Amino acid sequence: MTFGAPAALWGLLALPLFVLLYLLRVRRREQSVSSILLWRRSAPSLAASRPSRRIERSLLLLLQLLAVACLVVGLARPAVIGRGVAGRDIVLVLDGSLSMQARDVAPTRFDRARAEALEVVSRLAPGQRAAVVLAAPHPLLLAALTDDRRALAGALRAAAPWDAQGDVAAAVTLGAAQQPGPGGQVLVWTDGARGALPSVAGVTYRIVGTSDDNVAIAEFRVLRDADGVRALVRVANDGGAARQVPLEVRLGDVVVYRRTVTVTPGDTWTAVFPVAGAGVLRARLDVHDLLPADDQATAVIDPTPLPSVLLVSRGSPYLEGMLRVLPVARAAETATVSPATWSRFGIVILDRVDVGTLPPGNYLAIGTVPSGLPVSASGVVSHPTVAAWDRDDPVLRFVDLSSVRIDRALALAPEGGRVLAEGAVPLVWAYDGGGVRIVILGFALEDSDLPLHVAFPILVQNSLAWLGGAIADARVGDDVEVPAGAAPAATLTDPGGGRAALRPVDGVFVLPPLVHAGLYRLSVPGGADRVFAAQIGAPQASVIRPGSAPAGTSAAPVQGPAGVPQTVLVRVPLWPGLVAAAVAAVLAEWALATRRSGGDA
Amino acid sequence: MSRPVPPESDAQDARLFDPAFLQRLETLSLISRRRVQGQLRGERRSIVKGRGIEFDDYRPYEPGDDYRYIDWNIVSRLDRIFVKLFSEEEDLEVRLVVDTSASMAAGTPSKLALAKRVAAAIGYIGLSNLDRVTVTAVASDRGPHLPRLRGRGRAFDLLRFLDRLTPSGETNLGQALTRDLGEQRRGGLLVLLSDLLDPHGYEHALLQARHHRFQTFVIHVLADEEIAPQLSGELRLVDVETGRAIELSVDAEALREYAAARDAYFRDLERFCFRHRIDYVRTASSVPVDLLILRYLRQGGLVR
Repeated sequence: MTFGAPAALWGLLALPLFVLLYLLRVRRREQSVSSILLWRRSAPSLAASRPSRRIERSLLLLLQLLAVACLVVGLARPAVIGRGVAGRDIVLVLDGSLSMQARDVAPTRFDRARAEALEVVSRLAPGQRAAVVLAAPHPLLLAALTDDRRALAGALRAAAPWDAQGDVAAAVTLGAAQQPGPGGQVLVWTDGARGALPSVAGVTYRIVGTSDDNVAIAEFRVLRDADGVRALVRVANDGGAARQVPLEVRLGDVVVYRRTVTVTPGDTWTAVFPVAGAGVLRARLDVHDLLPADDQATAVIDPTPLPSVLLVSRGSPYLEGMLRVLPVARAAETATVSPATWSRFGIVILDRVDVGTLPPGNYLAIGTVPSGLPVSASGVVSHPTVAAWDRDDPVLRFVDLSSVRIDRALALAPEGGRVLAEGAVPLVWAYDGGGVRIVILGFALEDSDLPLHVAFPILVQNSLAWLGGAIADARVGDDVEVPAGAAPAATLTDPGGGRAALRPVDGVFVLPPLVHAGLYRLSVPGGADRVFAAQIGAPQASVIRPGSAPAGTSAAPVQGPAGVPQTVLVRVPLWPGLVAAAVAAVLAEWALATRRSGGDA
Repeated sequence: MSRPVPPESDAQDARLFDPAFLQRLETLSLISRRRVQGQLRGERRSIVKGRGIEFDDYRPYEPGDDYRYIDWNIVSRLDRIFVKLFSEEEDLEVRLVVDTSASMAAGTPSKLALAKRVAAAIGYIGLSNLDRVTVTAVASDRGPHLPRLRGRGRAFDLLRFLDRLTPSGETNLGQALTRDLGEQRRGGLLVLLSDLLDPHGYEHALLQARHHRFQTFVIHVLADEEIAPQLSGELRLVDVETGRAIELSVDAEALREYAAARDAYFRDLERFCFRHRIDYVRTASSVPVDLLILRYLRQGGLVR
């Protein structure tokens, strides 16, 4: 217990004075008796006249002393420091990152954090509100501010960590946006494993986690090129000691790669090996570390992952060559612009041809801007440089445009859609709406050295995959949309076996957030199932080394896994209860005194 | 002799003179375990042997003896002259000592009221049996005194005297009896009606009565509130006689302590009386007089 004004406790010295005044007050009722002989003859009865006996027997005095003591102690502003909650509204933020599944804190960091959050909820005062936010790749508000403890506990119990990197900063921002009010508080449970935490007033961090021992499959994907299909495996050692880890890759039930990998601390090890055949490719590390979730990965080898493609061009050896090596269902070339025939192809590549308004379909436009789209070409710019591009967009994933040189490009003026790469002007633009899904390269291949870069086949393949609705290289946390075509509904089965019914919206199925890495199956009635794998959200998501709270924010220290869970230490003022007790004592004393007619009130 | 008619104004005494009650009183007599030495001939065997009618003993003839008392049958058998001795029948000195201290005003009815009625009844019994009845009021000293009534015709005097007694003053039975019995040597029956709440102690007073050769009978009168006080709270108890006070927190525990002290007081008093052959009867002021006279005092050996 602490006191805000301990000097006020000197007031307790008034209690003996109070007792003395009480004893000095002449309040005895005078009663005539025939004789006091027998009263005096009783030696024990003399005890009845002792002042102490009066004190013992006087409930009124005790109530008065209680009231005075409560007031005096209340003036000293006492408070208790304990596990509990402070302030009025509380926003509980749980880091939903992959690293929170680490087992250095039993049972896991996330479970420990959730248990502590549940304890905070259980300690909420009546009427005190709380909210729950999950720091997933996109922060999720699981429960808005409410004083319904059951709803809060339900939201916490339903929360689960993602196989991805959570955005704690965005979650803190979302939590602060709940406006917890004066005295409100944002309590964040995180391991702080992904860089500095935002320093925000009113935010309390609880750092969960003690160790960094983790070896992970940081990347696992299928590569296609002219040489065929190859698999890429990247193993990362995020711990502090070198590890020798057996790695095994299977295609179906067949082991296609096996090796014991030696990875030094903080380093990665990468292997690329050819894979023949199609099916589900699974990689697994036989290792005991703190985060088993990233010790395995899945990829899918689809023999024809890309739809049929029609190349409309006056001649492009680069594109023609690409279509020969890419796993498209069917490829055709024409120099005639005949939109009526395009519907027979899944994708139409328009290479420097003017086509007017596009019919519904999927298009890759190179060096041309069709009409009827929220973009136009307002001229030509010379020697534009690629200053920035969206590496996370499925079209530009793994595409490095940093060294690409462009002689001239159309000056795209988008009024919608999304710019994927830009320099002085937008250079790569994508749009999906009105039945048209299109990617526009603002420059001709012949006006740049892009075909000479590794980025070119990746860009073309990504573009065809996105346009054709292929779900390749999906990552946890991605917003995945799949062209619905004529399908009225679909069912998505996640790695855990959970199913979600989907309805098309604007011609696409918007998949629910991919929470876990693994194999997903999209089933369309009357059509073939589409199987795709989701990888761990980001390579650095496997880093589990606990961080620290920023300076200036209150933080609970890290504890050992066997330690007692340390919840938020708060200062709970006691003076309101003491004042209430004093008032109650005074009222009780008054009621008792008024009932004693002629008594010693 | 016609029975006395009570004064119209004295409603309480009217109960004493209820004809049926009086008739029952007239059948009673006071018990004296000792032979008395009275002044007039009465109905009590005297320690003086002489011309009574109850044979007591023989003794050898001495010159001057009345020839009428010679037992000639003895003379004829033994050839020796003996005269018969008879117990003189003398009157009994009955002294009624009524405590009129202020404490006797307590009770419902008051202790003094009961004491006066009991004294009247005992006095009436004595007068009916030709005993000499003396009534003395005592408090801190001897108070009003009504000496030597004899005969049923003095019953009115007795009642008027008792009716005028009022409670006042402190209690000092020892001093009062010393004054009252100072010149008394003939003994008799002394009935003390008192609450015995004497701060100076009751022992000296009772021993004084014994010292003056009185068969002593103590009627200990207490009020109900003295036997079982109905008090509670923070009190300042004031003694009505002395004005002295005691401050107490009266609760159940204090009442238990009072009861213990009361019982110890009674026990000591009873032992004292037994040790000194003093008859003792304790009564509450609320006990009816007829019940007290006809049952308790008869059981206590005062009347028969």
